[in-house]
Amino acid sequence: MQQSQEERGPLENGSPKEKQRIIRRIVSQLTPHQSQNSHLEGDIAPKGLPEAIPVSRMGAFFLKVSSLTIFTLRFFKEVFRPPYEFHELAKQSFLIGYKSFPLVGITGFIIGLVLTIQSRPTLAKFGAEAWLPAMVAVSIIREIGPAITALIFAGKVGSGIGAELASMNVTEQIDAMQVSGTNPFKYLVVTRVLSATLMLPILVILSDAIGLFGSYVAVNLNGHVSAYLYFSQIFQSLEYKDLLPAFVKTFFFGFAVGIIGCYEGYNANKGTEGVGKAANAAVVFASLMVFIIDMIAVQITSLFQN
Amino acid sequence: MHMKKDAGHNIRLGVFVSLGIAVFIVGIYFIGEKQQLFRKTFRVSGVFKDVAGLQAGNNVRFSGINVGTVEDIRIASDSSARVEVLIGEDTRKFIKKNAVAGIGSEGLMGNRVLIITPGTGGQAEIEDNDTLGTVQPINMDDILISLKTTIDNTSKITDDLSEITGSIQSGKGTIGRLLMNPSDAQKFDSTLVNLKEGSAGFRILMEKAKKSWLLWGF
Repeated sequence: MQQSQEERGPLENGSPKEKQRIIRRIVSQLTPHQSQNSHLEGDIAPKGLPEAIPVSRMGAFFLKVSSLTIFTLRFFKEVFRPPYEFHELAKQSFLIGYKSFPLVGITGFIIGLVLTIQSRPTLAKFGAEAWLPAMVAVSIIREIGPAITALIFAGKVGSGIGAELASMNVTEQIDAMQVSGTNPFKYLVVTRVLSATLMLPILVILSDAIGLFGSYVAVNLNGHVSAYLYFSQIFQSLEYKDLLPAFVKTFFFGFAVGIIGCYEGYNANKGTEGVGKAANAAVVFASLMVFIIDMIAVQITSLFQN
Repeated sequence: MHMKKDAGHNIRLGVFVSLGIAVFIVGIYFIGEKQQLFRKTFRVSGVFKDVAGLQAGNNVRFSGINVGTVEDIRIASDSSARVEVLIGEDTRKFIKKNAVAGIGSEGLMGNRVLIITPGTGGQAEIEDNDTLGTVQPINMDDILISLKTTIDNTSKITDDLSEITGSIQSGKGTIGRLLMNPSDAQKFDSTLVNLKEGSAGFRILMEKAKKSWLLWGF
């Protein structure tokens, strides 16, 4: 009994909410000609494009940019305003961070291993095989660790958030939440975006460490290097200017994945195909955004390093 | 049951976050340790006429071991620069007051390093803010200038040598005639034959002389 209630979602637990939901359904059935948005309060962001107004492709793009901007601004408005949903934040962090760790860990290990094996022939040509750990460490810490982890994260978490919120949207759970007095933006969007922003840096740090271990394994496939020598070579080659900018940009990666996943899900079209579209759009857009942020980050860091 | 499951999730989340932060701190620590950020250090300086491209952050070596880093390089006067270095406290007892600092490089193309040569025993340990004696680095340009003189001299010598071998080849001079002129060679040959015959005659004479009563007693 309890289990089944849990699975049905947060708003169906209490009986007053259940009632409100039924009331809401009746209201919507009584007024079928009304748009889905019309009964919502004024402070709610526009939900998707108004379908009645035909717009050009260009216009649609800018409309999307503006509604994403409003969505992001609304996030910043809501994130500082109490009440804070700490319990839900912890739950989402568990789902977004902890549950992604095996996937990210395996990816990190393989990337470290493969990068080392692939770099060996080139370095061996110059007789610089001793530089292998140093070179791989700098590549993993500066770029490959954050970028690959963020992409995997976009694929797993971005699509997950997109699909989840879209299906809640399609089944009108978000609207019901609104009616029942819970702020759906705070409960659904803020917690997920914050979790993604905070969990990705931790995943990247762990993935970096596992990637370096993978590289150690690969170095030891051809010849023996003691773990102590390997790690002292790595730390000899690393500096704060390698680690810190790479660490800071992962917060932006996480934020981008979270906010885009939520935006696509929250503004999904009604209907079953809306869920698939939202999940797909979230992954594509979030991955692209990761690369764009990466490009901006490298420009900024190289500006300060010379 | 609901709460129990949540608590389990929260514990796992806590472990995950702690692990991430721990790895991050360990990384920060090891990178920082290399830059002497978390070790007790002391500061000494040296004045060089020419730092030969030494930069802040370069390693300081004592007996070939990295013991510190170059902290700062400033122009001290119109012909000298003061190099300030941070050295680990644990190395202090090995560096004496009369230790000497020089500038070398890590490899053919490598970074510059500041090399401290130990002072002689019996001297007091170095103190904070002491100024080390310095030896000027060997400048690549100086090496090239002295190398150029050597090359000039070598080219003169080889010029002379080629002239000599040229005149030998063309049969000039005694050696040349001897080596290159067939008739002269023949003459030399017959001289040798005569000499040989002459020495044979002399030997016979000496044999006879030994038997002569006139030389008995010798």
